[in-house]
Amino acid sequence: MALDGAAPHDWLRRIESLTDTALSHLGVEELLVELLDRVRELLAVDTAAVLLLDSSAQYLVATAARGIEEEVRQGVRIPVGKGFAGRIAESKQPLILEHVDRVNVLNPILTEKGIRSLLGVPLLSGGEVLGVLHVGSLSTRRFTEADVELLRLASDRVALAAQARQTEAAGAAAGALQRSLLPATLPAVPGVEFATRYVPGGGGEVGGDWYDVFELPSGRICVVVGDVVGRGLEAAATMGRLRTVLRAQALQTDDPAELLQRLDTHIRHFERGVMATVQCAIMTPWHDQLVVSSAGHPPPVVTSPDVPAEVVDLPADLPVGVAARPRRATTLCLPPGHGLFLYTDGLVERRGVSLDVGLRKLCAALRPGPADAVCATVMAQLLGGDQAADDVAVLMLSRPVTDATEPLVLRHHAVPLALRQIRNLARQWLSGVGVTVRVAEEFLIALGEACANVVEHAYGPRGGMISVRLVAEPSVIVAVVRDHGHWRSPRGHNRGRGTVLMHGFVDEVRIEHLVNGTEVTLRKIVSTEEAG
Amino acid sequence: MNEISVNVEWATDEAIRIAVSGEIDLANVDTFEAELLGAISNQLADVVVDLREVSYLDSAGLRVLFQLGAQLETLQIGLRLVVPQDSAVRRVVDLSGLEVLATIEPGPQRT
Repeated sequence: MALDGAAPHDWLRRIESLTDTALSHLGVEELLVELLDRVRELLAVDTAAVLLLDSSAQYLVATAARGIEEEVRQGVRIPVGKGFAGRIAESKQPLILEHVDRVNVLNPILTEKGIRSLLGVPLLSGGEVLGVLHVGSLSTRRFTEADVELLRLASDRVALAAQARQTEAAGAAAGALQRSLLPATLPAVPGVEFATRYVPGGGGEVGGDWYDVFELPSGRICVVVGDVVGRGLEAAATMGRLRTVLRAQALQTDDPAELLQRLDTHIRHFERGVMATVQCAIMTPWHDQLVVSSAGHPPPVVTSPDVPAEVVDLPADLPVGVAARPRRATTLCLPPGHGLFLYTDGLVERRGVSLDVGLRKLCAALRPGPADAVCATVMAQLLGGDQAADDVAVLMLSRPVTDATEPLVLRHHAVPLALRQIRNLARQWLSGVGVTVRVAEEFLIALGEACANVVEHAYGPRGGMISVRLVAEPSVIVAVVRDHGHWRSPRGHNRGRGTVLMHGFVDEVRIEHLVNGTEVTLRKIVSTEEAG
Repeated sequence: MNEISVNVEWATDEAIRIAVSGEIDLANVDTFEAELLGAISNQLADVVVDLREVSYLDSAGLRVLFQLGAQLETLQIGLRLVVPQDSAVRRVVDLSGLEVLATIEPGPQRT
């Protein structure tokens, strides 16, 4: 180990400063902060930050920071494998960036703060990654091998503290509950992009704010943001129950007003004394439509490509848990290029300031764009470096503008209900590709039969997945339907008909039995006037 | 939820007209079959199934129509299917050879 530039006694002093027994008297939060301060001092750097892996193990969440406290206050989330910290978590190796730019880091706060050079190491426990510790310098700096070793040493201490933080019973219980109840990953829906943030209120106290995104059996997407009145563990626990009730009821209806009605009935019967504001939107991606209903919740904001973001004029019905009253739903058009931003009041409410001011600020901060970037901008501009008084949950739904001729890639559980979803998304894609209605209809029938084959024959009772890929080539449209099951020869007297339909409606049907599944390729010729 | 509806438009002692609408596939074919068969008694002489509002029909749906045709043939009850010319469902029906068991008629033009 080359400890260039560090005299042995100096090195010892440094180690001592990190293993100082005095540190053991500190609470976990203070300990993390104190360790970061010592790391800053020892390495003569300007910033130090700890990001910890969330319960999905797919995102790093900013947990403690010195010099860039905004990271924590804005709830920065970095996907594992992406950006500076994400790459460290994935590789479990230290990483040095001598020249920071917008390409090699994902978090805009780092570039906005003027950080020039970064050094980061993984936080490891028993070989598993817990998170990432990184330091930054406002002037260009060449980090040495000795710097890396010192940061590694600090990371062991930080990892211990981080573990303690996660298991610290009392204060952490509500936080853990809150984290476990918010969806760890959001569904992947072609043509729709989601991003979310959750930030606890002052003193790290969680509350009853939540967001949720899930797919309905019809293939529609249900998006929810809500706020249970109250604070702390009790509000967080109530939130968890309401979220589950809402999910269960969503299996029975596609109408958000009726869904909120059912939630209200449930609360007034089973959860007396509970009150919550909820906004529920149900999206039909293949029709670019979204139906919203509000139970006393602050109105959502719509972003459009050419005009400034606008608060949606939405009738607000009573919060849930108050009294039985009719509820209304409003249909919005949300074509590609547009977006919808949902939030809880903690984002826009400030003591002594009119709500209109907060809403104006929010509209000014909202621009159409990738959902995650939009969330980052809004959190930066509305919360900045301030600690929010109340907890804040936000959810951005973006419809990215995609090239219509891009291939469509779908992956679903091979169940009968998937057939309709695949058909709807394929129908929308085919209309974007510009084939005639007749060609699209015929292609969908052949595709439907190929998919139904997978659902009926590819898998045993354990089930499996179906993948569909649609590609528009010059004057040909191609579908590749893939499963990873075992081919079973068609049974029942219905089977021949499916094959007849496939051959009847496309120009080529190729079925390949591979070692690990079956691949069906359908090709349909479209005349040149049609393609396009 | 999986939108399909089967309605008896009118019924006399001798004949019945059933209108179907929606998309029929593997996911709702059992509902389609149960509602269709449930509407038909063995007293009838003539059954009309109006498929003009059906926008998608796959081979699972065809199986129900084939079985219905075969059963009605045994019972000596006539089956007529109303399927507009030049619709996707018409092309499915034509390819399948369903005309052996049922009379296919275009019905009044949809506007």
